[in-house]
Amino acid sequence: MENIKAKIALFAIPILLFWGITEYFYRTIPNNYSVKNQYIENHSKDIEVLLFGDSHCLYGLNPSYFSKHTFNLSNVSQTIYFDKLLLLEHIDNLPNLKQVVFCIEYTNLSQKDDTDEDQFRKYYYQYFMDLKVPIIKDYDIKQYSLALTQNFKKTIDLYIRYLKTGTILDCNPDGWGNNYKKENRISPETVAKNRAQSQEDGSTDFNLNIARMDTIIAECNKRKIKVLIVSMPQTKIYTSYLNPKKLKSIFKTCNQFQENNNRTVHYLNLFNDNRFTDEDFYDADHLNDQGAKKCSKIVNAYLNSISSN
Amino acid sequence: MLFNTLNFAFFLPVILLLYWFATNRNLKVQNILLLISSYFFYACWDYRFLFLLVFSTALDFFSGVKIYQSQTKNQKRFWLWLSISINLGFLSVFKYYDFFAESFSNLLSAIGIQTNFWTLRLILPVGISFYTFHGLSYIIDVYKNRIKSENNIVDYAVFVSFFPLLVAGPIERATHLLPQIKTQRVFNNSNFIDGLKQILWGLFKKVVIADNCAVFVNMIFDNSSEYSGSTLVLGAVLFAFQIYGDFSGYSDIAQGVARLFGIDLLRNFAFPYFSRDIAEFWRRWHISLSSWFKDYVYIPLGGSKGSKWQQIRNVFIIFLLSGFWHGANYTFIFWGLLHAIYFLPLLLFNRNRNNIETVASNRILPNLREFFQMIYTFGFTTFAWIFFRANNINQAFSYVAVVFSKSLFSVPQIVPKLTLLSLLIFIVIEWNGRRNQYAISDLLVKNSIVLRWSFYYMLVFCILYFSNNHQQFIYFQF
Repeated sequence: MENIKAKIALFAIPILLFWGITEYFYRTIPNNYSVKNQYIENHSKDIEVLLFGDSHCLYGLNPSYFSKHTFNLSNVSQTIYFDKLLLLEHIDNLPNLKQVVFCIEYTNLSQKDDTDEDQFRKYYYQYFMDLKVPIIKDYDIKQYSLALTQNFKKTIDLYIRYLKTGTILDCNPDGWGNNYKKENRISPETVAKNRAQSQEDGSTDFNLNIARMDTIIAECNKRKIKVLIVSMPQTKIYTSYLNPKKLKSIFKTCNQFQENNNRTVHYLNLFNDNRFTDEDFYDADHLNDQGAKKCSKIVNAYLNSISSN
Repeated sequence: MLFNTLNFAFFLPVILLLYWFATNRNLKVQNILLLISSYFFYACWDYRFLFLLVFSTALDFFSGVKIYQSQTKNQKRFWLWLSISINLGFLSVFKYYDFFAESFSNLLSAIGIQTNFWTLRLILPVGISFYTFHGLSYIIDVYKNRIKSENNIVDYAVFVSFFPLLVAGPIERATHLLPQIKTQRVFNNSNFIDGLKQILWGLFKKVVIADNCAVFVNMIFDNSSEYSGSTLVLGAVLFAFQIYGDFSGYSDIAQGVARLFGIDLLRNFAFPYFSRDIAEFWRRWHISLSSWFKDYVYIPLGGSKGSKWQQIRNVFIIFLLSGFWHGANYTFIFWGLLHAIYFLPLLLFNRNRNNIETVASNRILPNLREFFQMIYTFGFTTFAWIFFRANNINQAFSYVAVVFSKSLFSVPQIVPKLTLLSLLIFIVIEWNGRRNQYAISDLLVKNSIVLRWSFYYMLVFCILYFSNNHQQFIYFQF
C-alpha cells in the first residue's frame, strides 16, 4: 500500500503543479470580467450610461461614440439574469447614472438559468465581479477553483494567446469588445443557419425574464434612471432562419415594456433596420467595427432625444 | 453523476479512502458504505427514481427468499412469476408503453379507426434495463437452484446497485458478484494499478475517441439529406467507433473502478471489431448482455438443440429481443433483425463457432484472409449501426438509399483529419493489446518507467484537452 501511495503521489505531482499554475494564471491575469469590475469601481462617480447585454451589445455598442460618459458592461452570452445582478450590485454606487441600455434580441427573453453557456461564466461573475450568484450551489466544488471551471483546451489556448500577445482581454477600457474571433469564417449562409439553429431553444415562455426586466425597470424608476431596450441589428439571412412567430412575440413584449412604463422605458428596434448591410457585420449577427460605429451613433442619438423628455 | 465529470473525480477518491482506511476492518460496514455511496451516485442523477431501485431490490430479495423457502414447485413458480411480472411491468411502463400505445394507434388509424391512446411521456429511469436484468438473473438462478437465496439484504442491494455497474452494466450474475461482496476484500497493489490504468484507457476511449466521433456523427446524421453517399459512409464508420469507444470505454471505467474496490466485474468487450464473423462479434460485443440472453432465453428455448427451424426461430427471437432491449423504436428492432439475418448463414452451415481464438493470436499481423474477414464483418456491423443510430426507420432507409447512390464514389464533404488520425492510433493500440483484458494493460510494462509514464501523461493530456465536448454515455438511455 505504501508503494502505491508513493507512486500515485509522484504521478500526481505534475498534474497538481499544472493545476496550481493555472489557478494562479486565472486569478491574476486581467480578463474581461476583472477589468470591467475594476473600471466600474474606479469610475463610479463619472458613469452616466451603462450598456447591458450579450455579445451583440459587447461588439455592437462602442462607448467612444456616445456623448455621455458611457460604459459597456455586457459580455459574451450574458443573460438578463446577470444583467439584473450586475445592475442591482452597482446601481446605488453610481450617483450620476442617468440611462441604462438593455439589448434584447432573439435569445434573451426565453433564456433559462444555468445553461451550458453559463457553466464557467457564473464563477467568473462571482469571483471577479463580486456578485452573489444564487445558481451556484453551496456544495459546488468549482467555485473554489477557477482552473476547474474552464475546460483544458480553452486553458491551453489562453496560455498560448497570453504568451503571444501578453493579454487575454477581449475588450477595450470602455468595455467594448474589440477582439472578435475572425477565424473559421465559412459561408455566411451556413454561419447564419448554424447560429440560428444553435440559438433556437423552441421556447416562447418569457415570464421569467419579463419578471426580471420588470424588477430592473422598477429599480431604475425609483432612481429616475431611464431604460432603453434595444434590439440590435442582424443580417437578413440570419433573420430568415429564425422563427417569425417568436420574433414577433419578442418585439411585442419589448413594446409592452415601453407602453407599460410611459416615458421611463423606451424601445428601439434595429433588428431589421435597413441602414445596416452585410458589410456592417463580422458574421450573421455580430456587428463589426464599422457597424458598431453606425449602431452606437444611432443609439446615442436616441438616448439624447429621450433624455430631454 | 457521470464517470467523466469533476464530481466523480472527487466522489471516487473520498469513497476509496473511506473504503480502504476507515471501514476496511469490518465487511458489513464496508458493504453499507458501498450501498450508501451507490444510492448517492444514483440519486445525483435523479433522486425521484431511487425508490424504484429500492423497490425492485426489495422485491427480488424477498422473492428470492420465498422461492428458496417454498416447498412446492407451484409456490416457487408463483414467486418467480410475481417477481418477473413486476420487474418487467415496470420496465414495460417506463420504456415501452408509449411505443406500444402509439404503434397500436397508428395501426388502427391505418384501417380507418381513429383512436386517442394516452401516452405517458415518462422519463426513463437511468439504468432500469440493467438493474432489472440483474434482479431477473438472480431470481431465475435461485429458482433453478443454481444459487441459494441471499439472506442479507445489504449484500443483495450492493449486488444490484454497486455504483460502477449500476447505470450501464456490465450486467452481473449473482453467482459471480455476490460471493465477492460477501468476502473480505484484500488490497492488492497490482490490481489497484491495473484498475487505474483501465480507468485511464476507458476515459481515453470515451472522451477522445467516442466524443470526437460524436461531433461529426451528429452533424452527418442530423443533416443526412444534405450529404453525399461517401460522407454518409464516413458518418456510419465514425458512429461504429463512437458507440464502441463510448460503451466499451464506460465498461472499462466500470471494471477499473470496481478493481479499485477489490471487486472483479464481468468482461463486457473483447475487441469486437477484430472479429472475423458475426458470431465472433457477438462473443466479443456487450458480452454480459449476449450471455444473459443466451443463458436465460436462448437455452431455455432449446438453444442450438432441436431442428434447424427451431434453431433459426431461437436466433431470431434472441436478436429481436436484443434489439428491443435497447429501446422502444423500430430502428433497434431492425438492427436486431439485421444481425439475425447476418447470423443465419453461419447457423445453417454450422460455422458459428469457427473463430473462437483471438485473431492472429501468435502473429503480429493477420493474414490476408483474416484481414478481409475482419473488414467485411466490420462492414456488416457498420451497416447495421446506421439503423441503430438513425432517429427513425424512415431516416435509416433514406440514409441507406443515399449510401448506395452514385455519390458514394465522390470525395466526402467532411474529412475530420484529426479524428481519423486519432482513430488510426487507437486501432493500432487496440490491435497490439488484443490478447489482453484491455488494450494498454501490458503496454510498455517492460520499458522504462519514464517511457511508460510519458505515455500515461499523454493519455491524461488528451483526455483533458478533449474533455470540453461532453457527450452523454449512449447506453445511459437504455
